[in-house]
Amino acid sequence: MINMLRWIVFALAAIAMNFPILVTLSTSFKSARELTTNPGLWVQAPTLENYAAVFTVSDRLNIFLYLVNSFAVAALGTLLAVALALPAAYAIARGKVGERTLLPLIVNLRAVPLVIFAIPLYMMFQWLSLLDTRLGLGLILAIVNLPLALVILVNAIRDLPSELDEAALMDGATRTQILARVIAPLCRPAIVTGVIFGFITAWNEFLFGLMLTTSKAVPITVGASFFFAASGGGVQWGVASAVMIVGALPPMLLGLLMYRQISGSMTAGAVKG
Amino acid sequence: MTTKTHRSPVSEFRLLTIPLVVFLLVFLGFPAIVNLVYSVSEVSFETLRRPEITGFGNFAAVWSDAAFWRASWFSFRFGLLTAVLECALGLFLAIFLAPLLERRSWLMAILMLPLMVAPALVGLMYRLVLHEFAGPVPYYLWAWFGASLSFLGPGSAFWTLIVVETLQWTPFAFLLFYMAYQAIPREIIEASSMDGARYHHRLWYIELPLMTPTIVVALLIRFIDGFRVFDNVYVLTGSGPGGSTASLSIYIYEAFFKQGAIGKAVAASVILFAASFAVLYGLNAIAARRKGATR
Repeated sequence: MINMLRWIVFALAAIAMNFPILVTLSTSFKSARELTTNPGLWVQAPTLENYAAVFTVSDRLNIFLYLVNSFAVAALGTLLAVALALPAAYAIARGKVGERTLLPLIVNLRAVPLVIFAIPLYMMFQWLSLLDTRLGLGLILAIVNLPLALVILVNAIRDLPSELDEAALMDGATRTQILARVIAPLCRPAIVTGVIFGFITAWNEFLFGLMLTTSKAVPITVGASFFFAASGGGVQWGVASAVMIVGALPPMLLGLLMYRQISGSMTAGAVKG
Repeated sequence: MTTKTHRSPVSEFRLLTIPLVVFLLVFLGFPAIVNLVYSVSEVSFETLRRPEITGFGNFAAVWSDAAFWRASWFSFRFGLLTAVLECALGLFLAIFLAPLLERRSWLMAILMLPLMVAPALVGLMYRLVLHEFAGPVPYYLWAWFGASLSFLGPGSAFWTLIVVETLQWTPFAFLLFYMAYQAIPREIIEASSMDGARYHHRLWYIELPLMTPTIVVALLIRFIDGFRVFDNVYVLTGSGPGGSTASLSIYIYEAFFKQGAIGKAVAASVILFAASFAVLYGLNAIAARRKGATR
């Protein structure tokens, strides 16, 4: 009996929280004609015409470009964050270097409204000609990803027995060699988690994409909003829905496949930071 | 123990942190200095590289700007309300659904799905969901109750945004609480049921107190994220109607990009920076004291 109630609560919560996704998914399969007559959730005559329309490139809207941009900046922002965080995490976890300054500073970055750095970064990028470039946006996304990457890696290295390091030191290895040959391979699960979580975060970022890009480096979160800019006949809801589904799909698939790792890393910053 | 002498280990550890420190100095340290200098300068897009230090006029302008205080009040209320709602709902779901989820962990993936979607895209999705002609919510409200609401109109826009934010981020609070709930040692629960404690007594006197630290952390994280909200609000209402839903992040963005008021935007950034620094410093001090007390 109570179990029945649990299932009902689960179903209600799942539907309510995923409601915008469900509506958008259903709308993306409606024909232009059905859209005017049927705003309900059920699709009467499913069609793929909206998806076909999305991928026809016009001179104003180019979803391929937005997707490639998102992929490039998310990859750069993630790999750079992990590459910077790994040696620092090793120094913090084993050498106690920066444990009281660098670590709290970066962990607290998670809580700082990053918009406060937005204007100077905009000016700096203007001077460096980094505005509207994938490199520029990728660098900023690395900052966004640093706090959790560092926490995940510090925790992972602390969990490794320090006898490993000592044995390698006896053999005459330097700390850098130990990091590259012993620690990094053993941390591979944590690195993978950090990369996946960072990729999702970077893919979903909007504020810096909005400010630092205008055409060449526009990511999908910003590009999707272009499809809402009414061009004459108002928003084409079917096409706009297909765009949003395509833009949300990569992180959703990663999330569904890797939910165990992600739930662990989402809470890492909260519980141990 | 060691027969060989190594390079002083601390210095090699220092070297390993250098890339990160340099990166932070360039992309956070330098902007912070620019913020401080420009906030006390007279500056426009024409004199961007030659700011003229003039004093605290920008701060005075922000301080006397009603829109700044309205945005601060919006951010505070928004952060507080969404944090409390998300944590209350998340706590209920975590405890009530635990027996279901323990046996079928894949159900977690469904509840976590909203966290994977960009808040900006979720905001855009609600433009569709709430649209008066194309949206299913007004459609079903008309069909079932013969009336609908103007969800993004004056008076209701704030509450619509609260619901949008809460529905997307309740899964985060739920996730934290579920993990904390699972981490309660079995022996404690078994011992209490041997003593004949009833379910709600056990919940109230044993499980919830054990989860209190997590609840505090979740409230804080959700408050901070709600306070600095930008993406979903920006795409859903802009800052309207009539600036009533401008958060502080949106205030700073619009001051800079829409009004070209660089000095004001930068001064507001510095105020926000100082405020978050003060809050974080206080929280860390409290956390350190608590850790010291329990260990």
